[in-house]
Amino acid sequence: MNLFSQTIQYAVSGITGGSIYAVIGICWSLVYLISKVLNFASGEFVMLGGMLTWAFHRAGLNLAASGILATASTTFMAVLLERVTIRPVRRPSEMTFMMITIAAASVIKGVVLLTWGSETRSLDPFFGNQVIHFLGATITSQVLCVLGLLAAVTLGLSLFLNRTLFGKALRASAVNQTGARLMGIDPSSFRLFCFGLAGALGAVTGITITPITFTGYEVGMLLGLKGLVAAIVGGWTIGGTVIAAVALGLLEGFGAGFISAGLKDVFALLAMIIFLIGMERWTYHRR
Amino acid sequence: MNISLRSAVWFLIGITILTTPLVTGSYVIGVMCFVAVFGAIAVSMGVLLEQAGLFSLAHPTWFGLGAYVSAILAVRGIAPPWLGSIIGAIFVACSSFIIGAPLLRLRGYYLACATFGLLLVVEIGLSQMGSLTGGHEGLMGIPPLSIAGFTFETDLHYYYLAWALCLGCLWFLHNMMRSRIGRAIKAFSDSEPAASSMGINVARYRLKVFVLTAVMASLAGSLYTFYLRFTQPGIFGFPLLVELTTMLIIGGGRTLYGPLLGAFVVLWMRELLHLYLGMILPRMTAEVDSIFFGILIIVILIFMPGGLAGWVDRIFGLRRKAIERVGG
Repeated sequence: MNLFSQTIQYAVSGITGGSIYAVIGICWSLVYLISKVLNFASGEFVMLGGMLTWAFHRAGLNLAASGILATASTTFMAVLLERVTIRPVRRPSEMTFMMITIAAASVIKGVVLLTWGSETRSLDPFFGNQVIHFLGATITSQVLCVLGLLAAVTLGLSLFLNRTLFGKALRASAVNQTGARLMGIDPSSFRLFCFGLAGALGAVTGITITPITFTGYEVGMLLGLKGLVAAIVGGWTIGGTVIAAVALGLLEGFGAGFISAGLKDVFALLAMIIFLIGMERWTYHRR
Repeated sequence: MNISLRSAVWFLIGITILTTPLVTGSYVIGVMCFVAVFGAIAVSMGVLLEQAGLFSLAHPTWFGLGAYVSAILAVRGIAPPWLGSIIGAIFVACSSFIIGAPLLRLRGYYLACATFGLLLVVEIGLSQMGSLTGGHEGLMGIPPLSIAGFTFETDLHYYYLAWALCLGCLWFLHNMMRSRIGRAIKAFSDSEPAASSMGINVARYRLKVFVLTAVMASLAGSLYTFYLRFTQPGIFGFPLLVELTTMLIIGGGRTLYGPLLGAFVVLWMRELLHLYLGMILPRMTAEVDSIFFGILIIVILIFMPGGLAGWVDRIFGLRRKAIERVGG
């Protein structure tokens, strides 16, 4: 394999990773923009999607049925999380919400570890093991599924948010909650809806990536955190998140390929820290 | 609380700590050792998060860096453990100063995210630098602490040392909160524009409290690693953060002693949990911890936001004074 095809291969794995982070980042922004809650359990929804599908599949259901069941149960979990832990908080503050969702993530992780153990699990690729050769690099059919998922999510969400009345109401409530409230919009039920939607999207992402990256009880935190990096760098918009996530994925793909695979996660996190500091300096000097 | 009552309470606590080893066995001494070490970090983290309002999640990092620097120096025979602990503290002071200067300008969620990133970066870095830090397996063969010919070997020695460190940190922070720095901290955690318009250099005081609490965590880390005589990157990462947060929330960070109370309650609760669960479900221990304490954090944040300390203060009818004292 020459250097050129190697580079293409790293780019492909980078873009795949980036698409995953993009969908997760969109989940974070959905919840954050509507409710100002950073839901640190976002990554756990991705993990739950993969693990539940694996569990249902092992119990004898076929892949499609177990995927649908897993998505439904994860959505239910997300809605339950909002109703049981976010809604009853008496003194809402950023810190309280963050602590609660981190604690919830730790509970979900613990329950999964207790039920299914610490082994990594995998699913069969949706369309078999076919590969496409492209400029010397190999692309599996599952990678195309991930790209398709990202395209479907971005297209579907932008149509939903820009063309439907409900979507427009959601955007209004993200821009100005008091104003939206005065127009008869109930922010509490919107928050519930966003948690559910983020849970469903996270679960679908988890199912789609499991044949590529495998799943286990501990994958949620890092995946979720990288989605958060993409959302922050992308400025909490769909387009920005996708661009930032793909850039992040490429950075990781090339970093892991050319520098060190062990330091793969460090690149993304350092990029976030440097970006946050840089953004603060920039806004400070513009004031 | 008037002065004499408060000093009587502290006197009683001191006597209890001094005499506990005389009446109990090595098991209790061992657990109380951990209570003191974790109490020291939790107390300094409480000042940073709750009193100064700096939402930094990188506190376990300073604990881990202090532990690693002193352990590496001791294992390689470059510096004896006591000197290594001081070098570790100086190293942590310098690195927290350099990292804190740009980082502490961030606010709220962004500070939390950046410091959370830092926590994971240092954890991964420590496990990747295999030749220096021993990688995932960690460092073994760390010599025990010894000062001027006296070697700290038994749990009892470390018990007194750990409690001296813990109460020393508490005493230092108590005095600090009533000094110029403490008043500045209270002022800017209440209202930053008001504080800076009164001539308080907020950025400098933020950095000061950040570095001071990092040094305390580093000293606790060195003590911890010489007590266990073993260190591993996994100890200082996300699990420790969750554990410290649990102590802070259960104890209540609005008072100085709250996190220490939290450390005491959390560690003993975990011991009891393992003791009784070990009878029912013999093969599960660590998994149950995260579920149990996760649920406990959520319940306390929803129903008892002040933590145990807030509850204790309310029982003694001291709530108003406690709020005055910490400026909440």
